[in-house]
Amino acid sequence: MLAATRRIGALARLVLVDGLRRYALLGLVALALAVELSGLFFFAFVPRDIGLVATDFIVTAGWATGMIFLFFHAVQVMSWGENRRVIHTLLSHPISRTEYVLGVFCGLLLLLLLLDGLLAGLGYGVLLLIKSWVSAGYFEQLGLAAYVLSWAGVLATQMLLLSAIVLFSGMLRGTFTVLLVSLAYYLICNGLPVALEFFREGAPLMRRFLQGLTLLFPNFSVYDYKGLVVATGKLPALPQLAQQLIFVLLYAVLVLTVAAAVYNRRDLK
Amino acid sequence: MIKLNLTLTKVSKFYPKEICFAADVKPALANLSFDLLTGQTLGLIGANGAGKSTCIRLMMDFIRPDSGTIRIDGCPPGDRGLRHRIGYLPEVASFPPNLTLSDMLRFVGATHQLSKARLAEQAERWLRTLDLWEVRKRSLQSYSKGMQQRASFVLALVHDPELLILDEPMSGLDPIGRAKISALITDLKAQGKTILFCSHILEDVDRLADRLLILHKGEKRFDGTLPQLHETYGSQTITQGFLRAIGEEAVC
Repeated sequence: MLAATRRIGALARLVLVDGLRRYALLGLVALALAVELSGLFFFAFVPRDIGLVATDFIVTAGWATGMIFLFFHAVQVMSWGENRRVIHTLLSHPISRTEYVLGVFCGLLLLLLLLDGLLAGLGYGVLLLIKSWVSAGYFEQLGLAAYVLSWAGVLATQMLLLSAIVLFSGMLRGTFTVLLVSLAYYLICNGLPVALEFFREGAPLMRRFLQGLTLLFPNFSVYDYKGLVVATGKLPALPQLAQQLIFVLLYAVLVLTVAAAVYNRRDLK
Repeated sequence: MIKLNLTLTKVSKFYPKEICFAADVKPALANLSFDLLTGQTLGLIGANGAGKSTCIRLMMDFIRPDSGTIRIDGCPPGDRGLRHRIGYLPEVASFPPNLTLSDMLRFVGATHQLSKARLAEQAERWLRTLDLWEVRKRSLQSYSKGMQQRASFVLALVHDPELLILDEPMSGLDPIGRAKISALITDLKAQGKTILFCSHILEDVDRLADRLLILHKGEKRFDGTLPQLHETYGSQTITQGFLRAIGEEAVC
């Protein structure tokens, strides 16, 4: 078990170092940081709810950066195997296909953690500055716990999406196909709550079907906590948060298990 | 001599699997059987599409046979323990794009559970042998094709494997690079390593291999030594023998 963890760690480190040296990714981070900083200049144009809008802006900037990271960098890294045959170089050493899947997933997740941590840190600084410049009424509070929770929510959706990308990369050939299917998956995940809302009254069978589908296509909107950061409302109850956390972890583990099974069965030409 | 290690028994492989239903589909490999003895150097030769790379990918468990069995020291090729004993050189050197050779060596050391001291010693030995010591911390993307090929060699050799599987080891090398790799393979042979390599360059095969395996359109056409090839086909050179074995004598 320890040896397997070491092998997964070694591969995760490769993915992490590769990502940290990728100019396009560094450019993306620089752009995201610049966008967050631009909040300092643009909040003055917001006529009301400055606190709410500024928080929304900061967290959304981080979320959008994460999406770009997932749809471009993560999809590309997962296609190393097919496009560059890097997977042959890596698997010629004592690392199993399951460990390969987990190693790449962990490396990409570490990169996302770093990215979110950096953007969350700078974003909080920006919000503190804005709070100090405007009247107290705009920021009923700037709750650190709610702020951390809102970024944890962003990370949760990214983790769900990343596990799905890993699975699609195993099942499909071609980076573009994986990108398209991942985008479709994301759109379905976001569209299901709207459909559920549409069938809120009546059509119980359809509603049950759609609810069942949310197990396959998780409802990302439940992890959106950014509205709580400046409001004085209480944080969600612990059991609710624990339930969401368990769902995210279980979902990722199950999807990665299927991804590992797919990788173990497929030919790596 | 102990009969070891690498045995293929009636191995067949079809690409892509879905079109197996078509009547005229030829397999990439058909009922291939051979074994490799300890300390032997086997040269796998064939024209493009003969099945050489398929054969090597099967041995490395990158792809799975549709029928037949492959055993390396009695174990299936996917056995992780075997990986400690095998060094693999891919046809095209392929690395994650933004890494250095040092990063890759650290990964290889971790997967083979080499101690830091052992990894440092082995890495320095092979990096110096293959003239990559000075550039080990440079991005692998900045390497020339020949340097990338040599870097792949370092990664294949750093854990001191007993069996080497080399897919086109001379591919993309200039004459100096070829001479160096040729000398390296000769040296590895002298150390008693078991080597299987495939190549289009028949002069290299002539010089380096103890035994030849000729594949043509997925089928085995010849398995034996060079004198046996000449005896079987009445040839004077390896090229002539090879062309006669695959029925392309008219090219001469």
